[in-house]
Amino acid sequence: MSVDLVVTAAAVVDPEGGFDHRTELGPRGYKYLPTASQYLLAAVKRALAAAGEGLASVPEDARAAAVGTNCAASALHARMDRTIIDAGAGDLSPATAPYFSINLFGSRLATEHALKGFNLTLTSPRVAGLEAVQAGSRSVALGRASWLVAGAAEEPPDPGEPGDGGEAGAVALVLEPAGAVAARGGHALGRCAVRTAFLPPAGPPDELARRAERLLEPVLGWSGRVPVRAVVDSSPVGTALAGALSARAEMTEVPAGAGCLRPAAEVAAALTWDGPTLVATAAAEGNVAFALVTPGGN
Amino acid sequence: MTVLITGLGVLSCTGAGTDAFWAGMRAARSAPRRAADPHADMEHPLMYSVPDADVPADPAECDGLPLGDASRYALAAAAEALADAGLGAGPDATLDAVADPSRVAVVVGTGMGDSGLHERWHLDGAPPGTRWAPVFSPAAVIGARFGASGANTSVSNACAASGFGLSIAADLIRSGEADVVIAGGVEAYSRVALGCFNRLGAIDPLRCRPFDRERAGTVFGEGAAILVLESAEHAEARGAAKRYAALAGAGWSCDAYHSTAPEPGGGQIARAMRQALDDAGIKPADVGAVIPHGTGTQLNDVVESGVLTEVLGPEGPPLYSLKALVGHTGGAAGALAALAGALIIANRQIPPSVPRGEPDPRCPVLLPDAPVPLEGSSVLVNAYAFGGNNVSLVLQEAGS
Repeated sequence: MSVDLVVTAAAVVDPEGGFDHRTELGPRGYKYLPTASQYLLAAVKRALAAAGEGLASVPEDARAAAVGTNCAASALHARMDRTIIDAGAGDLSPATAPYFSINLFGSRLATEHALKGFNLTLTSPRVAGLEAVQAGSRSVALGRASWLVAGAAEEPPDPGEPGDGGEAGAVALVLEPAGAVAARGGHALGRCAVRTAFLPPAGPPDELARRAERLLEPVLGWSGRVPVRAVVDSSPVGTALAGALSARAEMTEVPAGAGCLRPAAEVAAALTWDGPTLVATAAAEGNVAFALVTPGGN
Repeated sequence: MTVLITGLGVLSCTGAGTDAFWAGMRAARSAPRRAADPHADMEHPLMYSVPDADVPADPAECDGLPLGDASRYALAAAAEALADAGLGAGPDATLDAVADPSRVAVVVGTGMGDSGLHERWHLDGAPPGTRWAPVFSPAAVIGARFGASGANTSVSNACAASGFGLSIAADLIRSGEADVVIAGGVEAYSRVALGCFNRLGAIDPLRCRPFDRERAGTVFGEGAAILVLESAEHAEARGAAKRYAALAGAGWSCDAYHSTAPEPGGGQIARAMRQALDDAGIKPADVGAVIPHGTGTQLNDVVESGVLTEVLGPEGPPLYSLKALVGHTGGAAGALAALAGALIIANRQIPPSVPRGEPDPRCPVLLPDAPVPLEGSSVLVNAYAFGGNNVSLVLQEAGS
C-alpha cells in the first residue's frame, strides 16, 4: 500500500484581509452558503487554478476530497437553536437547515468538481485538518481515488461558547501521484506525510511529559532532525508536547486557535520554505498530529 | 490481512447491552416517543430514545472537558465492547495489561457529537472558563478513558459517519498502523438536528417504516455501537475468546449530485456495493443478508431497492430493517447495522423485521417477518448520507 503523492497546489483563504464570495466564487448561487463553506470553495478554486490541468484528466470516480473542521457549524447551530426555542422549527430557513449536518460544509465541493471517489469529513479536535491529509492519502493509496483535495475550513465558534481564539478561513492542498504529475509536465510543491497519535491527558505533569517523550521517539526517528512548528495551546497536553519537542528539536511555538485551521495553514506555508519542516499540533483532549512537509520534488 | 470483530458494545432504544439488543431484534417491537425536551418546538418531536433507566448518568466530565450524552453513550458502549473482547473490564480498566496502548486506535463516527450539551448551554449558559469545548470529542474521550494512544479519529459524514469510520478502522489495521481499533458510532438527541429534519419535511409522524407504501420520512433514534476490531494475528496471539465475524470489505463513493437527495439512478451506491464485494473477494451469491440504509424516506428506499436488485439479482437475499426497530441513529447507524450484522453471522439467523404495512411495489425487497436462517457467508451493510456520501461494508464469517 504505497503511492508517492505530491502536493501540486496549496491555497489559503484568510478573511481577515477581506472576503467577498461574489468576487471569489461568482455572482450567483453562493449567497446562502455558510461562510466556512464559501471559504473552502474559494480555497479549492484558487488551488485548482494553481494546480494546472491535472483534474481535467482524472475520471470523476477517481476524484476525492477530505476536509477537516471543528467549528464550521457552531455559530449556525446556535442561531438555528435560538430560532427553534424562540419561534419553532417552522421558522428555520430551508436553505440553511441541511447544514445542521457538518459534512454539508464540504459537500458543495463534490458537486462543483464532480468528486465521486469519496468526500470525507474529519472532526477530531485541532488535528482534523492534518488528519484529512492522512486519511485522504491513505485512501488514495488503497486505490479509492487517484486525485485528492485535502484541507480544513473553520469559522469562529458561537460567541456563547466557552474559550476564545476562534479561527476563520480555509486551506486546500491538491495531492496527486508523482508519476501522473511528471507525465503531464506538472510542477510539485513538495510532499506532506502525516502521523497521528493520542496522549491521554490524565496524570501529573511529569508523567505526561514522560509519555510525550515516549510518543515522540518514533516520530522524530521518522522525520529526522528538522525544524518544528508546534501549534499548541496551554493545556497539559499542549505543554507536554511542546516541552518534549523543544528539548529535542529547534522548535517554534505557534498559538493554537479553537479549530483545526492553523496546523493546516502551517503546512501550506511550510511548502514554500527552503527545507523540511515538522508541523506538530495537539488538543487538550489528547489528539496529536505531526505533518512532515518536504518542499520540492520534481 | 484479516480484520476480526472480537468485542461488541451497544446502547439503543432496546436498552443497554448486546444481549438486550439481540433480544430486541428478535422481538421486533418498538415505538418512538416524544423527545424529553420542552423546547422541542416542532411538528413531530419524535425519537427512538435510549430508555431513561439505561441513560448513563456519569461521567460529567473527562479531564476538564464537560461531556454530553453522546460521549457517555460512547463510553458505555466502549466499556462493554472492551470487556467482551477481554481487553479490560470494570470501572478502572485500562488497556495497559493486555495490549500495547500505542497500537490501539479509536475511530468514532458521529454526526452531531455532543451538540446536545451545547444546546443546553444555549438555555442555561456555558460553564465559566476559557477552555474551548470541541463538540466532536467522543473518540477522544474513549481514548482518554481507556488509555488508547494510537490514532484517534472523529468522522462526521452525517448518517454514513460510522460506516466510513469502521472502514477507516480496518484500514488502520490493514496498513499496519494499529493492531486493535475501538471503532463505532454514536448519536444522541439534538434539538437542532431534529428541528432541521422537521423543517425539511423528512419526519414520519408515526414511526420509521422503511419500504412501506405509506412511509412518510424517517424518525431519529439515539444509540451507540462500538466494535473491537483486531488483526487476526493479534487476536490469535492473545487468545481472544470471541470472533463474531470479520470486517472483510468496504466500498466508498460520492454521488456529487445534491446536498440532501440521493442520485435517482443510484450509480454511485451501486459502485460502493460492488467495491465492497470485490474488496471482500466474494460474489453476490455469498451475501446471505443485507442490512440496508433503508431510512423510510421516499426516494432513498426506492433507489436502494433498485440497486440491490441490480447488484445482488432479483432473487437476492433477505433484508433486515434495523431502522424500523431503532430508528435512524444518524452517525451511529452504520455501526449499529454492522453490530447487528455481526450478531446475525454469529447466530446464523436473521431476526424478523418490525412488520411493515403494505409493501411499496417500487421496493421489491424481501423483508421476513419471522426469523430465517442465514444462508451464505456474508452480510452486506449499507450507509448513506447527506452530501451523497455512500459506504458499503461486507461482514463475513470469521474463518471464511
